[in-house]
Amino acid sequence: MTIEVAAAHPARAAERARFQRERRRQALAQVVRTLSTVLIALGLGFIITVFVSDKPVQAYVALLAGPLSSTARVGTWIEDATTLTMLGLAFAVVFRAKQFSLLAEGQLYLGALAAGLIALKLEAPGVLHLGIAMLAAAAAGFAFGLIPGALKAYYGANEIVSTLMLNVVAVRMYDLLLTYWLKPPGAGYTWSNPFPASAIFTRFLEGSRINTALFVAVGLVVLTWLLVYKTPLGYELRMVGANLDFARYGGINERRVIMLSMALAGIPAALAGAHLAMGVHQRLLLNISLGLAFEGLVVALMAGNHPLIVPFAALLYSYLRIGGDIMERTAAVGSDIVRVIQATIILFITAELLVGFARRRQARRIAHAAG
Amino acid sequence: MRGITKVYPNGVVANDRVDFTVQAGEIHGLVGENGAGKTTLMKLLYGLEQPTEGEIRLRGQAVQIRNPHVAIDLGIGMVHQNFMLVPEFTVAENIVLGLEPQQRGFIDREKSVEITQDLARQYGLQVSAAARIDTIPVGMRQRVEILKTLYRGAEILILDEPTAVLTPQETMDLFAAVKTLVRQGKTVIFISHKLREMKAVADRVTVMRDGRVMGTLPVAEATEETLAQMMVGRKVLLRVEKPPARRGNPVLQVHDLKYVSETGHQALRGVSFNVHSGEIFGIAGVEGNGQTELVEILTGLRIATAGTVTLTDKAVTNRTPRTVRQAGMSHVPEDRLRNGVALPASIAENIVVDRYFAPPFTKYGWWMETGEVKKTAEDLMEEFDIRAPDSEVPVRALSGGNMQKVVLARELSRSPKALVAAQPTRGIDIGATEFAHRELVRIRDRGAAVLLVSADLSEVMALSDRLAVMHSGEIVAVFDRPRQLTEEEVGLYMLGLKRQERVH
Repeated sequence: MTIEVAAAHPARAAERARFQRERRRQALAQVVRTLSTVLIALGLGFIITVFVSDKPVQAYVALLAGPLSSTARVGTWIEDATTLTMLGLAFAVVFRAKQFSLLAEGQLYLGALAAGLIALKLEAPGVLHLGIAMLAAAAAGFAFGLIPGALKAYYGANEIVSTLMLNVVAVRMYDLLLTYWLKPPGAGYTWSNPFPASAIFTRFLEGSRINTALFVAVGLVVLTWLLVYKTPLGYELRMVGANLDFARYGGINERRVIMLSMALAGIPAALAGAHLAMGVHQRLLLNISLGLAFEGLVVALMAGNHPLIVPFAALLYSYLRIGGDIMERTAAVGSDIVRVIQATIILFITAELLVGFARRRQARRIAHAAG
Repeated sequence: MRGITKVYPNGVVANDRVDFTVQAGEIHGLVGENGAGKTTLMKLLYGLEQPTEGEIRLRGQAVQIRNPHVAIDLGIGMVHQNFMLVPEFTVAENIVLGLEPQQRGFIDREKSVEITQDLARQYGLQVSAAARIDTIPVGMRQRVEILKTLYRGAEILILDEPTAVLTPQETMDLFAAVKTLVRQGKTVIFISHKLREMKAVADRVTVMRDGRVMGTLPVAEATEETLAQMMVGRKVLLRVEKPPARRGNPVLQVHDLKYVSETGHQALRGVSFNVHSGEIFGIAGVEGNGQTELVEILTGLRIATAGTVTLTDKAVTNRTPRTVRQAGMSHVPEDRLRNGVALPASIAENIVVDRYFAPPFTKYGWWMETGEVKKTAEDLMEEFDIRAPDSEVPVRALSGGNMQKVVLARELSRSPKALVAAQPTRGIDIGATEFAHRELVRIRDRGAAVLLVSADLSEVMALSDRLAVMHSGEIVAVFDRPRQLTEEEVGLYMLGLKRQERVH
């Protein structure tokens, strides 16, 4: 087919080749730009450090090299990135459909709760136990997402408001069940009994916390990518996000898509909760997340809502989180300042990404004018 | 204006060494396709943009027009295509806005009304000074815009596509008013792409194409054909070539359709008609007389209050858009930017929105064959002459004409039984308009029932095999031989001044 076209329109084929070369060149330039922005941002972070620390070099080395300084620390980094990848995917899905659901935090709590209940109250052999717990978590996250989805699709309720309120409901329900039912009598802390070994993500690297949930996260990345780009439902999500009126006009059932976007996002979010329960803490405890989902939002933003970029954004973001903790502990820089440095770097990178979007849009205009 | 070049920061050359001279006291027409650089040139003159090169001379003096305030001080006024009026204010308040006559720090309302009436009398532009803008018709709003610029002392008036929103009668009134202005010593630059209007009103015409001036000539020496050729760069068919219709059985049957909006407005008051296979049934009418509601009900986007719609004997009243489409209905929507395309999505994604869920695009019910999507899109780009490097280009990057071709490619390639085409050539250039007209006739000749709704009276009269006129939610006339009518005659029905005794 391409050959026929080329024969019929040699000029147009040449123009097309030029356009595609230009597109590839710009994609590469974008990567280079992003990397240099990271460097500039890190430089800026260092300047701040100079002002707040007696030993700025030492402090900054702790931030930049800390996470790699021991197997245990690498493990902590990967473990944190695993959770953030899952949460980033959750936001990548709803944002694709331009639904501003912030339910991930609530879905995380319900996911942890569902996984915890299966872990503590059900007996099953080995992998099956873990599998059932994950399924229960996913189901809880999915079902919870249907509520704001239906409210938005059928009653036009603003999803930002409804999801923020539902988050409180989920967190309180978790607290209630944990405090009055799951907490063993006489425990000194509000937490459950530790989970049995059959309901725990196995740590497979000696001396680190890296666990098998890592593979779950990788699987979710691939599945989310398939969902968004390779299924009719993914196409519907993207069209609803691109132009809701167009989707409706074209025959897409936009209400179903809105509901499903919030429900499907619940699956990775709830599994992030399952990871916290069955991988990180190996039990349920009070304040298991403390707003972690909103860090997932930043990860999705950094990744431009692209599922395949989410894990890299999560790795970068987690690296700064873990590095910041290490800097705080080893170099006596206050945690507030560490947050400021982190925020500066993240802000810089995110802003650069947005500039990148604007540039690409402009490039399209040039392409249009030329064609 | 001499040697004007304008290069936008993104490298687009909108004006390339343009020479443009307007003589005092003339009506100077400026024509060209969309993107030819007319609007940019006028923005430079009105100070909204700065030229990269070249100079502007006014009455022999080189001037620098840094912003619209300078332009207004120099006596240049511009009437934009989209009116810049405050809808909640009265006519008089809008005219004096920013330059209000004052009395002890308060606005002198009586004086405002007086000023308005004086201006209106002086230039022969009828307006009701005390009426609120949102209660007056479009034609009067335009006169208010013109008076507003005159009140600010404009000697040179730029009218940007002023007739796009007017009925034939209002257009005639506007032409008369423009001629009065010129008689009183004003100079008018009249932008349009309707060549017939140029012939009717302008003294001289300048034609632009691709940012360059192709020539300036007295209207008396130009024909519509030569102007069109200068605009497009090749011979253009202005008349719609159309073999006689071979009318078949009724395909789209509409019976007693009623619609009451949420605000209680009766938008449709019992509309009935049949569209037969192999014919183009046109609906003319001033916009806002129920056409939008009618089209949306027929295509499943709006729920009718009462009445039935049948498509080849299948009831499709108030079904979902998908059901209606599956029954064989295609829809070219009136506002393609609102729902005809998804701007950020690619051409390919825009083309398959009505078929992505079925083979060969979706296999096993869940796997989407993106290769198949691309292939279909590129075939259709070839067939419908959509000019873009490939099917991955976002629709946002296309011109209006190419966007409409994406819509046409999608809606016509599915061999529809019925096609509802609303304003199919709005805002697209002559070349694309010609293309769209040909495609509508082609789909008709393949046996589709075509319902054409258009505010462009000459278009709907030229294309339709039968013509209906809508006025305030009703069909007030149906003509079997639209080509034998005059626009003025149809205009009387459009304005509700006349109606047929019994509408069949």
